[in-house]
Amino acid sequence: MSESHQQNLLRYRPWRGTFRGAWFGVFAIARAGLELILRRKLFWTLYGLSFLIFLFYFFGQYLQVFLEQKLGEENLRLGGIFTRNVKPDVLMKSLRNALQLNGSADTYGNFLWFEGYIVVVILAFVGSVLIGNDFHHGSLPFYLSKPISRWHYVCGKCLAIGVLINMMTTIPALLLFIEYGFIDTWDYYIDQAQLLFGILAYGLILTLTLSLLLLATSTWLRRTIPMVMIWITIFILGRLMQRWLVDGLRLPEHWRLIDLWNNMYLTGMWIMGKEHEELRPLSQAQPPYWEASLVVAAVCIISVLYLHRRIRAVEIVS
Amino acid sequence: MDYLIDLDRLSRTFGPFQALKDVTLKLPPGRIGLLGPNGAGKSTLLKILMGLLPPSSGTGRVLDQPLSAGPEREANYELRRLIGFMPEADALIPGLTGVEYVGLAGELYGMPRKQARRRAHEVLTYLELEEARYRRLNDYSTGMKQRIKLAQALIHDPPVLLLDEPTSGLDPAGRDAMLSLLLELGRDFGKSILLSTHLLADVETVCEQVVILMNGEVRGQGKVEDLRDQRQNRYRLSLQGDVETYARALTQQGARVLADNNRGEWRVVVPADWKTRTFFLIAQTTQVLLRGLTRDEETLEEMFLRTVNLVPPVAVGG
Repeated sequence: MSESHQQNLLRYRPWRGTFRGAWFGVFAIARAGLELILRRKLFWTLYGLSFLIFLFYFFGQYLQVFLEQKLGEENLRLGGIFTRNVKPDVLMKSLRNALQLNGSADTYGNFLWFEGYIVVVILAFVGSVLIGNDFHHGSLPFYLSKPISRWHYVCGKCLAIGVLINMMTTIPALLLFIEYGFIDTWDYYIDQAQLLFGILAYGLILTLTLSLLLLATSTWLRRTIPMVMIWITIFILGRLMQRWLVDGLRLPEHWRLIDLWNNMYLTGMWIMGKEHEELRPLSQAQPPYWEASLVVAAVCIISVLYLHRRIRAVEIVS
Repeated sequence: MDYLIDLDRLSRTFGPFQALKDVTLKLPPGRIGLLGPNGAGKSTLLKILMGLLPPSSGTGRVLDQPLSAGPEREANYELRRLIGFMPEADALIPGLTGVEYVGLAGELYGMPRKQARRRAHEVLTYLELEEARYRRLNDYSTGMKQRIKLAQALIHDPPVLLLDEPTSGLDPAGRDAMLSLLLELGRDFGKSILLSTHLLADVETVCEQVVILMNGEVRGQGKVEDLRDQRQNRYRLSLQGDVETYARALTQQGARVLADNNRGEWRVVVPADWKTRTFFLIAQTTQVLLRGLTRDEETLEEMFLRTVNLVPPVAVGG
């Protein structure tokens, strides 16, 4: 490369173009956040675990229908020494009851419930990378000195978290819904349209609640270890506590409201149209749907209020 | 546009603390130094100029844009598009590469993604970071971090740069390089620069004008040349013998004794064209033993106070 060409390259050059609206910045923030997360091996390891749950449901649904078609009318002989004859329809019924792989609200509710364990662990790690670092490294002035408001910043981060959550919950649940229609009948899509709406709404509830809560806790704690501890307290300890209080000490079922994931589950099942009395397991009494939804809404509102206060407080440039 | 910054009795309070008191400034476009010790109110003023903080009272305009009442007003977005801000804090996003970081800044300013990315490459090349542009920001040295912060401020080619301590943490060579860059941007590419610093030498190198801020008040404003002329040429002397005669001889040569501890130790201020050997010549003539002679650089704080007619007590033993 000639020296004159290199000199030309090193010259400052002006830029003339048209600026776009502030909302485009939301997508840029979300994309940058996702790039940070998707580069981490830990994320892909944990995502692999969540994918295993999806694979279990995916092939479980298929195998169940496959078995139903393959089994004839004749009784089956089960067991080695103590054999017994079982009718195929009885066997399938007990399998259906045990696994709930029947394309019902319980199928998707259970699937999302199990995915929740992995989602919570991933989000505990994601929080410090995505938001905590902005506070820890003083990066907030980088964002807020641009023509965007704190709510654009919050929306960008929520969008990134939402994509991660939906990658593990809503999208696989929708795939299961589509799969069941294929292996059952086409009428399934029409008859169970409320389930489709329910899955989307459940996903939206998870996205909103968890992203706002993650933002709020990350701005508060910033570092990974405290984040993991708080999330374990909220989601694992909360669950153990509610079981101990209600099932162990026989306190009223309202005590289950301290388990946030259970509240989101109840809200989701409500939208999917599941009767409250039929909630599984039948032995465990659950608080009314509206109470659980109220708790979820309260968590969202408190998180928004906290973010409003916190992000304004650090809007001090250096 | 007559003035880059036009402030009229602008004040800002934080609870009982008054960070800025009746600041009135009329600054034409150009390279301006904002000098002041820590806590002088420089950062608060920068925040107000960027529209991040509303003033408690008073009015102002930056680049003919009025300072609005709230940081999330659309008018402030317009203002921030005209400004490139380089914060003092790291403000980096660990995990992103240099080109991603600068590109993200461009997108936050409202540039379309492709243009932002292309411009990021150009700016990084101009700032001699082309070889480091695909490296993670975590691996950058202090000098590179300062330059990449400048790059993100230049990405959208703003007419005004607000720089908060741009040479902070740099070694002498890095500092010289940064100051040369800033001088070039201002002098050759017509950028208006507001350089907030506590280092007089930085202002002397880059700026044409200076504003001295102390305790939230503007204590002085003028051309850097004038300030430079006001800097005192001082020495510390340690004498033995007939010091009265020595003092008279010094005064006849145009020097002035600032402080005398009555034990033969003085601080003297001499004319600008003073030659050090004059001290020895006078000592020889007056038969005085000159036991010690050291240069006594006037500190920035001393000069601030003297400039604003608040002459600090000059002690010899300090």
